[in-house]
Amino acid sequence: MGYFAAALLSLLGAEALMAAGYGYPADGLRDPGTLVVVHLAAIGWLSLLMCGALFQFVPVLVNRPLAGAGLTLPALLSIVVGLVSLLSGFLAIDGLLETAAPFLPIGGFLLCLGFAMAAVAIGLTLARSRPLPLPAAYVAVGLAGLLAAASLGLVFTQVLGGTLSTPALMGIAARGVPVHATAGLGGWLTMCAAGVSYRLFPMFLLSPDPQGNGTRLAFMLSAGAATVAVGGGMAALLAGWTVPGVLLVAGLAAAGAAALYGRDVVNFYRGRRRRELELNMQIAVLAFASLGLAVVLAAPLAALAGGERGIAASIYLVAFGWLSGLGLAKLYKIVPFMTWLECYGPVLGRTPTPRVQDLVSEAAARPWFLLYFASVWAGTAALAFASAASFRVAAFGTLAATAAIIVHLVRARMLSDVAASQRFPEGALRPSLLYSIAPGGR
Amino acid sequence: MTEYLELDVRPILAAGGEPFGRIMEAVAALGPGEGLRLLAPFRPVPLFGALGARGFTHQDREIGGGDWEVLFTPTAGPAVSTTEAANDRWPIPLMHLDNRGLMPPEPMVKVLGAAEAMQRGEVMEALLDREPTFLFPQLAQRGHEWRGGFDPDGAAYRLLVRIGTGS
Repeated sequence: MGYFAAALLSLLGAEALMAAGYGYPADGLRDPGTLVVVHLAAIGWLSLLMCGALFQFVPVLVNRPLAGAGLTLPALLSIVVGLVSLLSGFLAIDGLLETAAPFLPIGGFLLCLGFAMAAVAIGLTLARSRPLPLPAAYVAVGLAGLLAAASLGLVFTQVLGGTLSTPALMGIAARGVPVHATAGLGGWLTMCAAGVSYRLFPMFLLSPDPQGNGTRLAFMLSAGAATVAVGGGMAALLAGWTVPGVLLVAGLAAAGAAALYGRDVVNFYRGRRRRELELNMQIAVLAFASLGLAVVLAAPLAALAGGERGIAASIYLVAFGWLSGLGLAKLYKIVPFMTWLECYGPVLGRTPTPRVQDLVSEAAARPWFLLYFASVWAGTAALAFASAASFRVAAFGTLAATAAIIVHLVRARMLSDVAASQRFPEGALRPSLLYSIAPGGR
Repeated sequence: MTEYLELDVRPILAAGGEPFGRIMEAVAALGPGEGLRLLAPFRPVPLFGALGARGFTHQDREIGGGDWEVLFTPTAGPAVSTTEAANDRWPIPLMHLDNRGLMPPEPMVKVLGAAEAMQRGEVMEALLDREPTFLFPQLAQRGHEWRGGFDPDGAAYRLLVRIGTGS
């Protein structure tokens, strides 16, 4: 839960900065202000969320306990301190923070260390479970993307911070940003989100596990796209080839993979044996729609709005519509379930307990999820049309919606929506907001 | 043509005895391709699942006076790969749950609820859609043992729980 709490706070922070007009589009795409917002969202929110979710669900994917569970807390501390340091470094470049402390190199180092610890825990668990089921194979590719993004980030921070000045590394720092971003958003976050959804969605929808050539092809295409983008991108950086060309090839493979993945997702919903959809699965539809929109609109956006605006709009839609939207929807499932299992697990079958769905109030939460997606789509349009004022309004919408969703998550965690009379049957455990005693549950 | 060994459990039950052990001994003693003709004073529904799990189909008919005759006929191969059920130290399941098609975590709640009603050493069989990852720690905490695996056609996960000391 500590991971989820830190992640949600980061999301609020990033949205507040956007609503305040800090960073792109008021500043340039590569200005320090934009870098603060982007890294707060990508590392603080999405990566911590993904790490926390993987610590919970990789054991479910491969049916064995997490290896190196002792690493999860040091990894969290290292990532959080590293992120604060990295952001301080960006603020110092921006002139908002006057300091001589080498925040950037320290931040880059701590982030690399923290993510390496997380990757070791997850990677070891996977390595002991070979051959890997398909969802776990996605996660394995995602981990490779994480390590690539983190190592490139480390190089950038050392070069920008002045601790390294080898010409080859400086060349990488100058041209490597697209590879860094693709490895992080595409390799790490999207691959892991797809992998986890391949297992969770059949579970939540009671639909058959996907199999067949299309599903395998989706994996091969997406793994191929990640390999081309990250491996090819790195090679291009070292050999001086054109980086955008390599990324274009990867992008085409990724679009094919997204189409096949979309087909599997549609089949999950069509083949479900549970007719009524829970709110988290209804909302997930909007997240998938965002991914689809981002894939379909990428080319027209780039053509109509020009390279930079098109890229900004597409990335915003992927990060906030697809990854964040899916993340918030799944948190709305995961937090109540983990809380229910933790508090009522010991007395299940011995005394009447509330149901998982008694922990949430879907009717009250629904409008906020809808507001969230409406704001994200409005924000995407504002970016495409380069309207900084409308973007701030839209960002304020996501901020308000996120805050309300967090209130609902905290209420679920504290069992506030459970009728007081049945909240704590004899023997039930009281939840603590941040620390979960469930196995691997921090 | 299947040969049937006949076992009449009516005298055992009339004497207040417990016929399960005798039935399982008789089944264990069957040669390849042999079946069991069981005579009982009621329709022995729990056996259908238990012997079904060991690869027997059944045909039952009332033979008058409330008594039943059941023919257990071996199928070509065992119905499940989880030959755990045949393990000599685990008694045949007394409780059968079909939890397929239930929304998680309902299957878990039902298994744990049923376990509370059972005696130490007794075995429950549950059919599930998936491997119950979150159930295992709860079973372990309560001192129950379990075995499980997917049926060969992958359509159901067959879980056996042996009730333990409790906690």
